Amino acid sequence: MTTHVTVMPEQFTLVAYDANRIAAIVRDLASLLGLSNPMAVEVDERTPLSKMSAVVAGTSSDHTITLRLQSGALEDTKHLTNFSEAHARRSLGQVMLRAKDRLRPDFADAPDDLALTNAQNTAWDVYCGGRLDRLGLDPIQQGYRYDFRNRFGFSDEVDCVFDQLWSADDLGWHDLPTVP
Amino acid sequence: MRQFFPVEDLARDDRFVQTNMAERMSDTRSAVDLQRTAKSRGASNRLTPDRHDASDAARSLMHGIMVGEIQALEGAGRTAHDFDAGDGSEGTIPFELKLDMARQAWDEARHVEISVKLSDWMGTEIGQFQENTVLFEAACSNDPVLRLAGVNRALEGLAIDVFTQMKEFGQLADDPFLEFCEDWMLADEVTHVKMGSDWLRRVTENDPDRRAKALDFQRVVDKLFSFGGARGESEESPIGLARRFRELAGFTDDEVDTIAGMDHDALEERKEMVRLARETAGV
Repeated sequence: MTTHVTVMPEQFTLVAYDANRIAAIVRDLASLLGLSNPMAVEVDERTPLSKMSAVVAGTSSDHTITLRLQSGALEDTKHLTNFSEAHARRSLGQVMLRAKDRLRPDFADAPDDLALTNAQNTAWDVYCGGRLDRLGLDPIQQGYRYDFRNRFGFSDEVDCVFDQLWSADDLGWHDLPTVP
Repeated sequence: MRQFFPVEDLARDDRFVQTNMAERMSDTRSAVDLQRTAKSRGASNRLTPDRHDASDAARSLMHGIMVGEIQALEGAGRTAHDFDAGDGSEGTIPFELKLDMARQAWDEARHVEISVKLSDWMGTEIGQFQENTVLFEAACSNDPVLRLAGVNRALEGLAIDVFTQMKEFGQLADDPFLEFCEDWMLADEVTHVKMGSDWLRRVTENDPDRRAKALDFQRVVDKLFSFGGARGESEESPIGLARRFRELAGFTDDEVDTIAGMDHDALEERKEMVRLARETAGV
């Protein structure tokens, strides 16, 4: 079954992105992740930043998942304002994994993405990053490790927690570390 | 060996993609809140670890530092080589100035190595971000005094601001390497600016027109290095102006005030440009 995907805006003016290409990537990732919910992708092309969030309207498979991304999350960092397929797959994969987590009962307590603390956000990113790696999307593990150290501290103990998160596949919201 | 290298001929492998200031400024997106005024200051844009995108922004800046160090190495090396030894007139430079440029090239080479290792530590791949060649372009003048003004005072002055910001970032994040490395490189940059200030004064001692021309050029380069207000004293600028270290490097208060004013103007110009672009695009 093909996932229904809409992308806004349909035409980009400040960046050289193609809504159809973004939709195709989302459909492909949805198939890879086993997500059949309708998807609404909203890209804010006014900012080069790369914040992302997912909003799940409900936990059944017919509830719409809204993915909000700032344009930097899909960008080719070697050719600014141009689209990068690899970067887009990693960013969309990450935010879609979060949405998939939110469909689980053990993520019911998770605050909205934009209400997460920096530490909560980073811990969840690391949990997603490890799974993206095993899906073959090639996230840069050292980048995630540095983010995690920035939030939780530069120590061997923190690195051990990072390694556990990176290799995990079946965690609930309360399994994620929250307090540095 | 060939003298006077144009920016197009810089040696880079295929990991690097180069850009220039015109391309950079044609990107009309902005991270700055255009609605914000001095009275409505909210969250700061300053590059600190508590920003949600702190690591990404620090990685991008660290990559910029790395390619900047490569270009500073190339610039200092060119100045040591491009001009014959003499009294400083008619395309010559004092031999002692050549030695200082050679020493600076040595420092910059060490900074490149440190920046590569820091990038690796932070999870950045070499060439992951585009390389802005504006720094080397400031080192292409046929007059060595303009190079001192553009490279040693404007470029290395910017390096003082950037390293101070990154040092504070490392300090706040408790990163055991970042603060230490930036502090050492910062000390070198203060020396490079001081060298530039001293040589500029000595070489133009009896030529006020040449000195004025060099300082005009420095202002042009400083304006470019404001990067549309990315550096400045406003909290809207990710990189602050490091007044204390600039003072140690020989900048007068008036000179720093002038740079602060240019940074402010560059920020406002950039905001106006972004506002117009958005109106035109209807977004």
